[in-house]
Amino acid sequence: MSYEAIAIFMFLSMLLMMLTGQRVFAAIGIVSTVAALLLWGEGGVEMPFNAAFKLFNWYPLLTLPLFIYMGYILSESGIADDLYAMFHVWFGGLKGGLAVGTILLMVVISAMNGLSVAGMAIGATIALPEMLKRGYDKIMITGVVQAGSSLGILVPPSVVLVLYGMIARQPVSQLWLAGAIPGLMMATLFIIYIVVRCHFQPHLGPTVAKEDRDMPMREKLKLLRAGITPFLIFFCMTGLFIMGITSLVESSAVGATAATLAALVRGRLNRKVMEETIRKTLGISCMFMWVILAALAFGSVFDGIGAARAIESLFITNWDLTPWEVLIMMQLSYLVMGMFLDDTAMLVIVAPLYVPLVKLLGFDPIWYGVLYTITCQIAYMTPPFGYNLFLMRAMAPPEITLMDIYRSIIPFVMVMTLALVLVMVFPQIAMWLPEYVRSR
Amino acid sequence: MPKFIVTYVKVIDYLSTKCGRLAMYLIFVMIAVLLLDAVTRNIINIPLSWCIELAQFTMAAYYIVGGPYSMQLDSHVRMDLIYSRFSPRNRARLDCFTAIFLVVYLVCLLIGAISSTKYAIEYDQRKFSMWNPSMIPIKLIMVFGITLMLLQSISTFFKDLAKARGIQLS
Repeated sequence: MSYEAIAIFMFLSMLLMMLTGQRVFAAIGIVSTVAALLLWGEGGVEMPFNAAFKLFNWYPLLTLPLFIYMGYILSESGIADDLYAMFHVWFGGLKGGLAVGTILLMVVISAMNGLSVAGMAIGATIALPEMLKRGYDKIMITGVVQAGSSLGILVPPSVVLVLYGMIARQPVSQLWLAGAIPGLMMATLFIIYIVVRCHFQPHLGPTVAKEDRDMPMREKLKLLRAGITPFLIFFCMTGLFIMGITSLVESSAVGATAATLAALVRGRLNRKVMEETIRKTLGISCMFMWVILAALAFGSVFDGIGAARAIESLFITNWDLTPWEVLIMMQLSYLVMGMFLDDTAMLVIVAPLYVPLVKLLGFDPIWYGVLYTITCQIAYMTPPFGYNLFLMRAMAPPEITLMDIYRSIIPFVMVMTLALVLVMVFPQIAMWLPEYVRSR
Repeated sequence: MPKFIVTYVKVIDYLSTKCGRLAMYLIFVMIAVLLLDAVTRNIINIPLSWCIELAQFTMAAYYIVGGPYSMQLDSHVRMDLIYSRFSPRNRARLDCFTAIFLVVYLVCLLIGAISSTKYAIEYDQRKFSMWNPSMIPIKLIMVFGITLMLLQSISTFFKDLAKARGIQLS
């Protein structure tokens, strides 16, 4: 069997194993184990465990459990309630204003946390019920929460960019800076979409009754204080890291501490909240880490059969594609695979295959990191497999059905694809900020 | 179900819960160690070389020893396109079959872990760094965690088997 055929066969068997509904890490792990044993016999038996040491050396992944912890603390801390109240009053008068406010809330949460879990938890428990109560269209707002929370992995800090940085050997600070403007641009595009749609279909997002949001200007300005804590947290974490004072993993510890303090000051921390938080943190961290562990073993089998070389020769020698066609092919293939296979595992398995190709074709790996993350965001939301879908199903109020969740993402995926195309055509959107900081 | 299986499930579940709940608190160790590093380097100007490495060791222990408990909590994501349409009993039936993936993978992981630990003990392997810590303790912890994960998978298999036959085990 040729190496290309082995690679495709491995992908297909992984898909088949996943379809059985067994835990994802086991499905990936068994395919890599069996492939290693078949290819290298007894010598392959140690391959799965060697991945544990690769993971061990990827110490920037320490940010993962810390960000998960921080996300749960933030959603418990009540910071989000104040922020929501602020956006509610300031934007309630606009058609679809609460949805716009929710996107802005998500941007603020994203600037404090590097995953979509926090935004999802806050969106589903605070924003969604409020908007449902005020007669917002449930399909639209489900999409708003899903799309908004996905900004968590693009707006700095971002765990996906940390993972990408380790695979592509690029500095995380540059990657984070590169994600900032595209993230804000995407948020703006979401807002434009919501405002335009609600302008033509006002019943989707009615304005909040005047007596609900009318208050003296002084009171209104007072509400803006809700923004202070998030800004401080952002500064302690991302600010100190970009300025080079704390290292990446240290800054995530500083962020976790800051969030804990914020919750403590508000008197929200009790035994029960703490216990819930650290238990859920352990659960989600273990899920991600075991998936990454299995995916790394899969990746090293791919390394062994020279899959990166095979893809290179397929795209460049056999199909004779131009660099841009290769780039588009890579993004499309990732989107399709991201739909059916586990998104984190895809990142770990596919990025090592694509990054050398990106460098070979003369594209900037930092810019590609942003494209990759946007693609990842889309993959997180597209059925049948996506973490945001998975989390949404677990957290959404009962009146939101699975079909609602599936239908809700369509317009937002289109907007995100537009953002992806914009960043592809105008690389400066991503590259301006990191280049500016570097040149200083 | 035979009595020894019931006892096995009880003992292993108890052990996993205890160990997992212990591992759960390691998150604070990670935060504290990294914070210590940031503070000593920036404020009192004493860089500590061992902090990052200690945090690395802690993370490995965290997710490996916490693994069995996370399995009990059912935190692991599944591709449930088809799976979610089955009744709980049919899901348990399916899980009984696919548990073989889990067990084979974990056995392989365990073989690798044991041989790696043997090597570390034989040659007194140390991590090549300023701190130069021995690799033996972390490898022993990993062997322990993976063993427990394997035992927990078998326990989960028994529970699924019982559920498939319409009995509730613990």
